[in-house]
Amino acid sequence: MTSNGSTTTKDGLSNVNVTAALDVEGNVPLESVQLDGLVVLKIIKHCREFFPSPVTGQLLGLDVNGILEVTNCFPFPGSKPDDENEIVDGARYQVDMMRCLRDVNVDHNTVGWYQSTYLGSFVTHKLIETQYNYQQTFNNKSVVIVHDVSRSTHGNLSLRAFRFTRAFMEAQKEGKFTTESLIKNKLTFSTIFEELPITIKNSHLVTALLHSLDDYEHVIPKASSLDKETVVGPLTPNFDTLELSLDPYIEKNLEFLLEAVEEHSQEQSNFAFWQRSVVREQAKMQATLQKRKQENSHRLASGQDPLPEEDIAKMFKFPPEPSRLDSLLITSQINNYCKQLNQYSGPTLGKLFMAGEFQK
Amino acid sequence: MPIDAATSALNLSFPPTTSATGFVVPQSRSFTVSVNPVVLFSILDHYLRRQENQHRVIGTLLGVRSEDGSEVEVRNCFPVPHDETQNQVAVDMVYHQSMFELHKKVNAKEVIVGWYATGSNLNQWNALIQDFYSKEVSPPFQAIHLTMDTDLKNEEKLLGVKTYVSAPIGISAKPENCLFLPVPCDVKYFDAERSGLDLLASAKDQPDRSTSLISDMDNLEKTILVVQEMLERISEYVNKVLDGSVPANNKIGRFLMDTISVVPKIDKVEFEKMFNSHLQDLLMVVYLANMTRTQLAIAEKLQLLLFSETRKSDSNESKRDCDYVYGAWSIFHWPIFDDYSSEIMLYCEGHLKPTININH
Repeated sequence: MTSNGSTTTKDGLSNVNVTAALDVEGNVPLESVQLDGLVVLKIIKHCREFFPSPVTGQLLGLDVNGILEVTNCFPFPGSKPDDENEIVDGARYQVDMMRCLRDVNVDHNTVGWYQSTYLGSFVTHKLIETQYNYQQTFNNKSVVIVHDVSRSTHGNLSLRAFRFTRAFMEAQKEGKFTTESLIKNKLTFSTIFEELPITIKNSHLVTALLHSLDDYEHVIPKASSLDKETVVGPLTPNFDTLELSLDPYIEKNLEFLLEAVEEHSQEQSNFAFWQRSVVREQAKMQATLQKRKQENSHRLASGQDPLPEEDIAKMFKFPPEPSRLDSLLITSQINNYCKQLNQYSGPTLGKLFMAGEFQK
Repeated sequence: MPIDAATSALNLSFPPTTSATGFVVPQSRSFTVSVNPVVLFSILDHYLRRQENQHRVIGTLLGVRSEDGSEVEVRNCFPVPHDETQNQVAVDMVYHQSMFELHKKVNAKEVIVGWYATGSNLNQWNALIQDFYSKEVSPPFQAIHLTMDTDLKNEEKLLGVKTYVSAPIGISAKPENCLFLPVPCDVKYFDAERSGLDLLASAKDQPDRSTSLISDMDNLEKTILVVQEMLERISEYVNKVLDGSVPANNKIGRFLMDTISVVPKIDKVEFEKMFNSHLQDLLMVVYLANMTRTQLAIAEKLQLLLFSETRKSDSNESKRDCDYVYGAWSIFHWPIFDDYSSEIMLYCEGHLKPTININH
């Protein structure tokens, strides 16, 4: 894996101009993600082939002037459940793939990874770990692209690009998510991820291809079909968005939402339990401290040395605070589901009224 | 032209394949190839990244075959470095083998089905390479050769995609004597890929060849506008026919009537009932989702408030108090949602007609 190197020459002045123009060091913070058309199609194809199990892959490209350009990607092989050498195999696959791609002049610079998801349930521990590794290794220049296959079949492509905020990275670095660390980093569930806007850019040749796909009949020789009237090319208008069967998606989404809420309440009860145990321990400590004080006053009255009070604190062990990461993730997931429901219901209402109009 | 004894026309048929029983059967069925758009895009991308001295590039096609070998679906491809001079051609076979192994790890179903080359002319090197690939493709099936015209020399055909199969010709069966027989090919894709293609296609009309992702509502609006425009065109045409300015065409008239009668005729009262109940369901879902989000937002605001308060007072006591308040708040408010959760479950099972009520 190459890293962004900087060029140092003796001629400092012109070098400064060059590096400012090209941003060789990569110091400009990322603002948006630009995908090549090829990357979009490859991600869709890979996710669709293994639907509904989640799949991942690597993104390759370059970051230029605050825009992360992704020019190619390749999928990771699916993990077999009982493979001990999984990590080694995965690493070797990556290295081999990158080497082969370098031979054909593909950008072999990793800029992130992508994952497929089912109905938006992607906020998991695994995602956190992987993205943390990537972001740590590549100096905050890597994003995760999440593609929702079931949503894309409804006519509108669903691709989102995320990366962690600095607050979350710091908290993850320390590895513990107690209330103090949350307070210190001002971390709430909505400040875990930053979503980056995505644009899609095509090369000139690809644009020519798209134009020619429009003029479908004359370009690609097809087996002659008797039904010449209904020629369906790749780019004839797509009416998937006007699909009226709406319930299964909403039902599934609600089911997931319910599950997430149950998990959340479980987390809350855990936290409450811990709090109660802390209170109990503290009460016990206070009681023993009181007794000690009384004893000491008696001893002083009878002329003996007072017993120390500090070792009482050592006798009582406070249970450690449970990690708040889970509840953070779950609340973030709940928020996601609700947003999805909203986003989906909007057009659904529109379609409903449209069907009503047709009846008149 | 009439075929009599002394003619120079050659009668070529598809090369014989062995059927499942092992007999050599001359191919009588039509042989079709369907191509996934990913393949076309990757070929163009490879062509863009070629070395300076190369005029054309080649690579391997992966895909699946149907049972009897008459339909081939090309699903994926990867580039292969090759060298071409006046006197010889060299293909990096080791690279080809290792890339195929890597790809097989991800998707075991895809096999080698042929190769591609850019540039539409077929010279003797093609025959040699075709022979090489025919050995790779498990016999008795033929290797498909796909060419993509990247020179854009054709006037009417912008980016011709042609597929060929080779047939032996000549007195002796030497590898470089073969004729390429064109085979009809088709561009096939799935629903999810369709939305991706549509998005890419919307970029082709922009001056900077880029586009960004749009929300579901905007996508719906776009589609509705398309439908509206179609309806306007049709009504204009019908009006013109009625006026007599355009001669009536029976076929078009019948087609229009068929299309319009697809709208189902439902009893008005029934439709009102269905419409209202569906509307109610949707609104309830939206209400619940919004309420959940509001609750999460309130909890978050409270959290941030506590954070800023605990920053000011650093004693342990007040921090514990804040924890109490935070924990108590979160536990206190979720039971309200439990009432609705039972209603949601019943809604999902379809037993209850949901009504919106607020109970505290």
